[in-house]
Amino acid sequence: MSFIATDIHVRYGPREALRRVSLTARAGELTAIVGPNGSGKSTLMGALTGTLPFDGSVTLNGQDITRQRPWQLAAQRAVLPQDSRLAFDFPVIEVVRMGLQAGTAGDRPEVPMQALARVGLAHYATRSFHALSGGEAQRVMLARVLAQVWEPVADGQPRWLLLDEPVSSLDIGHQLQVMEIARDFARSGGGVIAVMHDLNLTALYADRIAVLAGGDRLAFGPPTEVLTDGTLSRAYGCALRVSAPPPQHVPYILPHAATP
Amino acid sequence: MASLSDIALAPSRPARLHLWLAAALVLAALASLQVGAADVTLSALAGKFMRGEALSPLERLILWDIRLPRLAMGALVGAGLAVSGAILQGLFRNPLADPGIVGVTAGGMLGAILAIVLGGLLPAAHLARTGGQLVPLAAFLGSWGATLLLYRVSTRGGRTSVATMLLAGIALAALAGALAGILIYMADDQQLRDLTFWNMGSLAGASWPKVLAAGPLVALALGAAMTLGRGLNGLAMGEATAAHIGINVQRLKTAAVLCAAAATGAAVAIAGAIGFVGIVVPHLVRLAAGPDHRTLLPASALLGATLLTLADVIARVIVAPAELPIGIVTAVLGAPVFLWILLRRKGGLA
Repeated sequence: MSFIATDIHVRYGPREALRRVSLTARAGELTAIVGPNGSGKSTLMGALTGTLPFDGSVTLNGQDITRQRPWQLAAQRAVLPQDSRLAFDFPVIEVVRMGLQAGTAGDRPEVPMQALARVGLAHYATRSFHALSGGEAQRVMLARVLAQVWEPVADGQPRWLLLDEPVSSLDIGHQLQVMEIARDFARSGGGVIAVMHDLNLTALYADRIAVLAGGDRLAFGPPTEVLTDGTLSRAYGCALRVSAPPPQHVPYILPHAATP
Repeated sequence: MASLSDIALAPSRPARLHLWLAAALVLAALASLQVGAADVTLSALAGKFMRGEALSPLERLILWDIRLPRLAMGALVGAGLAVSGAILQGLFRNPLADPGIVGVTAGGMLGAILAIVLGGLLPAAHLARTGGQLVPLAAFLGSWGATLLLYRVSTRGGRTSVATMLLAGIALAALAGALAGILIYMADDQQLRDLTFWNMGSLAGASWPKVLAAGPLVALALGAAMTLGRGLNGLAMGEATAAHIGINVQRLKTAAVLCAAAATGAAVAIAGAIGFVGIVVPHLVRLAAGPDHRTLLPASALLGATLLTLADVIARVIVAPAELPIGIVTAVLGAPVFLWILLRRKGGLA
């Protein structure tokens, strides 16, 4: 079972934000999308979540997403947006409960507290959302998303986490915590697609990486194949050196100053 | 230790709030029936009822044809405006939205002014057919026309842009204001007086036909509004996220606009432009009970009905035997309360 995007083409007026980009994400894996600013990462995420109109097709567990109702999609995939703002000041636990909207864990009232505990914020349950720091707000939103698809596999079908820059406001400790949560979700049979900026964190956790640049897919594959000097330097337009330090030999990316 | 059945039986916090507000509404209603220019009091009427005596024709007239329809109209208008405000604040994700924002008030005002200034030009036969209710009818049509136009302008390819609606609403209100200005320029002194009073709002023209015309519409809108709570809660996270948790966002937006336009349109038609209820009441409820729309919507209906009923009592008593337009009372009481809320909250609104 997989999340398959085929020939996704998106135009913003005369500008082509994505040019016939395809991507297959498999359940059980963490698939990362990386690339420079404006490369089309968030546009691709917008197509996968059904937020943006696009040409091409996106199928989720074999079903065309444009033919499904919002609640049908919500039962199969949860989306963490970049923006964790909230118009009104709800208590934290109520925000997490909104993840149950689709009724996916409706008969499990304990799920929101468990989800909050999973991101390490159980003691914040009754606090006001607006009093949280940016990073805490992002983790509460992650708890909401987890509550929505609490079991990674339901009725024999994998469920999906779509994360748009999930660690953008987090310190390094919480970056690792959130990536562990995402990887655990995938290891338990669910699927994860994450837009990422930090290449080293991506190398550490992603099973497969899509590199976008200028609306094109430059490369797609496991970290060791994709994260190379040539591909990254071409994508980001700057000198980058990839090494694989022991003991794990995970690719490690070092920038080189443009001028010495 | 509380047993499980105790927990089930004890009313939850929102339920308790609703009970308190319902009790307040009953008290306000009794006050409204008690007070008036004529010396007819509830205790006297209750005494007569206990002794089995019939009410005098005058007492029946005052209670049944004057005070009861006025009470019903005040409650309808207050509930309608307050719930519309709560819906629109949720829809626009902005605590400063009020029913005026979707052009309902401006359109209603233009309709009313058209009827007041140009109504006399209509052939007498047509005029008779409106049963002397040309102004409310025109106000209702004006408010609905404005809302539908606004909705059309801001909906492209089946998607309604809330931001476009906000901007177009401002443009439409300016246009309606200018057209109203032309009509005001043409108006004679009596028409100007009628206009001014319409703009300040009043329940003085209360009658059963008006209650029966507006009542079902407001009731329908309020009933439908009570189903929007979960959706509006989700909308607080933005339209995209609301859709991602399974809400049909376009249907929610359409339903929200229809409910607000129906309730406000009916209220404006029968009572004129009454300010501040729509914006202040949802704020007061949010301060007491938080932003959950499943509580906010019914509580706003109850509090709006209560406050407008009380404002009407004040409007009738304060310069008796004459009475103040109720819009003056709601603004004189509402504005300081609103300022007080703003000063008291250091962290800003929302």
